[in-house]
Amino acid sequence: MKTKNSDNYTKWQKSFERETKIDLNEASSETDEGIEIKPVYTKADIENLSFVDNDSLPGQLPYTRGPKASMYTNRPWTIRQYAGFSTAEESNDFYKKNLKSGQKGLSVAFDLPTHRGYDSDDDLVMGDVGKAGVAIDTVEDMKILFNDIPLDQMSVSMTMNGAVLPVLSSFIVAGEEQNVNKNLLSGTIQNDILKEFMVRNTYIYPPDPSMKIVADIIEFTSKEMPKFNSISISGYHMQEAGADNVLELAYTLADGMEYVRAALSKGLDIDDFAPRLSFFFAIGTDFFMEIAKLRAARTLWYKIMKDFGAKNEKSLILRTHCQTSGVSLTEKDPYNNIIRTSYEALSAILGGTQSLHTNSFDEAIALPTDESARIARNTQLILQNETGVTNTVDPLAGSYFIESLTDELSKKAWDIIEEIESLGGMTKAVKAGVPKLKIEESATKKQAKVDSGSRVVVGVNKFKNPKEPKVDVRVIDNNRVRDDQIKKINDIKASRDQKAVDESLAKLVTAAKEDSNLLACSIDAIKNRATVGEVSKALEQVYGRHFATSLSVSGVYGKHFEGDEDFMNVTKKVNIFEVENGRRPRVLVVKMGQDGHDRGAKIVATSFADMGFDVDMGPLFQSPKDVAKDAIENDVHAIGVSTLAAGHKTLVPELMKSLKEIDSKSKIIVFVGGVIPEQDYDFLYENNISAIFGPGSNIIESAEKVIDLISDKIHKHN
Amino acid sequence: MQLVEKIIKGERAAIAKAITLVESSRENDKKESRKLISELLNKPGKSIRVGFSGPPGVGKSTFIESFGRYLVEKNYKLGILAIDPSSQITGGSILGDKTRMIEISKNPNTFIRSTPSRGSLGGISVGTREASIILDAAGYDFIFIETVGVGQSETMATNLVDIFSLIVGPGSGDELQGIKKGITEYADIFIVNKNDGDLKSEASKTASDYKSAISYYKKSNNTADKEVLLVSAIEQTGMEKVIETIQNIVSQNKKNKNFDERRAKQFTYWIEEEVKEIIQFNIQKKIKADGSISQLSQKVMDGKIQMFEAIEAITQNLQNK
Repeated sequence: MKTKNSDNYTKWQKSFERETKIDLNEASSETDEGIEIKPVYTKADIENLSFVDNDSLPGQLPYTRGPKASMYTNRPWTIRQYAGFSTAEESNDFYKKNLKSGQKGLSVAFDLPTHRGYDSDDDLVMGDVGKAGVAIDTVEDMKILFNDIPLDQMSVSMTMNGAVLPVLSSFIVAGEEQNVNKNLLSGTIQNDILKEFMVRNTYIYPPDPSMKIVADIIEFTSKEMPKFNSISISGYHMQEAGADNVLELAYTLADGMEYVRAALSKGLDIDDFAPRLSFFFAIGTDFFMEIAKLRAARTLWYKIMKDFGAKNEKSLILRTHCQTSGVSLTEKDPYNNIIRTSYEALSAILGGTQSLHTNSFDEAIALPTDESARIARNTQLILQNETGVTNTVDPLAGSYFIESLTDELSKKAWDIIEEIESLGGMTKAVKAGVPKLKIEESATKKQAKVDSGSRVVVGVNKFKNPKEPKVDVRVIDNNRVRDDQIKKINDIKASRDQKAVDESLAKLVTAAKEDSNLLACSIDAIKNRATVGEVSKALEQVYGRHFATSLSVSGVYGKHFEGDEDFMNVTKKVNIFEVENGRRPRVLVVKMGQDGHDRGAKIVATSFADMGFDVDMGPLFQSPKDVAKDAIENDVHAIGVSTLAAGHKTLVPELMKSLKEIDSKSKIIVFVGGVIPEQDYDFLYENNISAIFGPGSNIIESAEKVIDLISDKIHKHN
Repeated sequence: MQLVEKIIKGERAAIAKAITLVESSRENDKKESRKLISELLNKPGKSIRVGFSGPPGVGKSTFIESFGRYLVEKNYKLGILAIDPSSQITGGSILGDKTRMIEISKNPNTFIRSTPSRGSLGGISVGTREASIILDAAGYDFIFIETVGVGQSETMATNLVDIFSLIVGPGSGDELQGIKKGITEYADIFIVNKNDGDLKSEASKTASDYKSAISYYKKSNNTADKEVLLVSAIEQTGMEKVIETIQNIVSQNKKNKNFDERRAKQFTYWIEEEVKEIIQFNIQKKIKADGSISQLSQKVMDGKIQMFEAIEAITQNLQNK
């Protein structure tokens, strides 16, 4: 039977093939997720969907169209900009300025020592204090951070996972000392440790005790802090580490399931805590995919929570914060980042996010300045006030393409969720290292696509700006911050009641051994002016510190370059090098300090190995001294330092010094890659760094440069 | 030779450079390397060489980290040679051992060197033996040699180490059937790792499987007993027993001369290997210079002579040169 529809379709197909001279079957493209994107979608594509219900409305199950019936028509999303740097005093100033300019909620970025549970005076964190966030050592810092910001009126989101106990305790005590009872505090603590083991690496304890801490916090807040979100289950960092959208979606929801189980194991009723679970997704440049992802996330979470037996409607609804993608930002032609961020923001809005952070355009190289932060905030203010996107709820509903994509994404994610479940849930999968490896594989594929030019990044591998603009960046004097913090710590230690501190820390240790709730005990310790580091170390006595073992993918990068001339050129050079020197060029790739973002290091390691290098991988969190020992014992030709948290100005000179200490004649070449503002280049070159590779560097070109530098060095000395 | 003195003084950079030299595939380096090793052999240290092998995933590096920590706390100097596979396709490698040896790699009493296997079969790389001589001369008490896989048990045990241990995981008893002959013959110690948490009972069961397997082994009079040990690398338990066992085996074997015999055999093996390599190198040079292979092969192709006639003619030809 012929319908009008199929007649039209046949006609369309003919026209399409005539215009493009391509057979329609060949005209689809494939996304990173392995989803086929067709040139046209029709009504047929939204018949018989598996997860999406075409008749559902906003605020109705399965909540594909949004958690609320009115959405932005009633109240627009919350503009919640993530910020923090240097000392509490400076961050507090910055927050107050932003609130005056139209920002609605606060979102605190802590520095890496705080994340990893070290005080600023710890030798291990020399280069990291106040760099990628604000340094918090005691409750006094937390009080300064919220000075003149009434905590009963401000919702505060805190990105904290590792040192979640002392930091949340400090927040609660800071509230108390502002005369705000904890039951009035509103906001969110990230408290999502599983993804730390997968991608971000700012954990402290091993997975099992870490999960206990998560559950303790859910238990405590569900009873004592009704307005506070006990967890923000985050896919953001997965996408930043290179996960495609299906992996991000599936692993985030699978993490969520694991946290639900952890809370249930405390004897809580699901509806007591589930309404306070919140989510956090990244929004990258794949415009429609990102919209579909948020719709799919709500759809799947509804199904998951129903299966858990939740009855309260609020338990069934996924609410999420979103942030535009940091990894999509480029160092080259940086004003393009404003445009990228705007489209990403629009995706998040069309997907129905509850709050949003838009990145500043300079974040590929440094922390935002006042000026770049203003542009980022205005991106959202313009969307809210000028574009009309708030007038209609879920305006893309019914789009054949969007609905079909939402369903397709849901199906693919569901398969992966079931796979994780069959491994016994996310904690077990994480311990086995499965998700980490999958994400690294995905990251390496993406990088290969950019390096081979099959994916265009404007200003990077195509349409390059012949005259790169100079951009001013925010500079943090971490030595000054560290000195300030150390002074504050010493003052507090001199004036506090040491006996009370010791007793409350001892109680905390006992609580950990007896498996009772740790948050209550750590609040007491913090109230007595115990430091973040002291609370973390007390628990470390019981749980130990976690060290991740590191698996690597291989062959994924090289596969994209079969027959590629530049690639072959490097492998040829490597082979010649081997003949001439009796071994392959050998490079040690390291991270130093507390910066756990290892996507870049991993990609460099695997791709250099695919080009024939021998690549040594250092463990995370190495000190410059450790790196020097490692490099010299393995007699490497070069060290590649990956840095994303701005510690390089302290750590790299330290490394150079340590190398010379062990071997005064060391000829090891050092190159640096990652997030490095151009203002630092001269400083690094003065410290005998041989090459600097910023974000968006082509890895094949980088590898060639490294092998040339190594050869030069050898010839010079022969 | 200055390098020798520096090695004996224990200078880290000198030891590292020396290892690079003995691993080098360059002809000049090989000559230098032979000179160096001859000098170092005159100044032997006191080290015990222990081989660790085992299938991937049993926690070899984690065990070495844990056991190593135990040893350096007791003030032993520990050298580690870890061999990682090179890619067959690209020739490159990822040497990630130190990501699993975090604590001991920082310790001043350790020297940890990873080496790519560079396509050498059996997982033992060119230069491992020489590297262990360097570390011995440099004063390391223990030299651990770690390889992937169990296939090279024989090479490892007969070629390189004083004690060969196999690390296995819980539940590996089933695989025992397949590898029984090789391991009962060559391994001195069986270490069952992951004796912790949920895996404890499985680990004990595996240990008894191994115990019963080695009971079939007919032991010759003058060798020490083989041992099966249970450890947990993560919880650092069972480590005293490992060092005790190593020391017992060493002292027993020293008493009954088995220790020296084993080292003597290794020298014979080494000499044989070197001779083979030199002959092969010379022959290859001759073959290149000669050219009769391609001529005669062509004749075989053309049907003018039989293949075996050609082979005989070529060998005759080469021998006469």
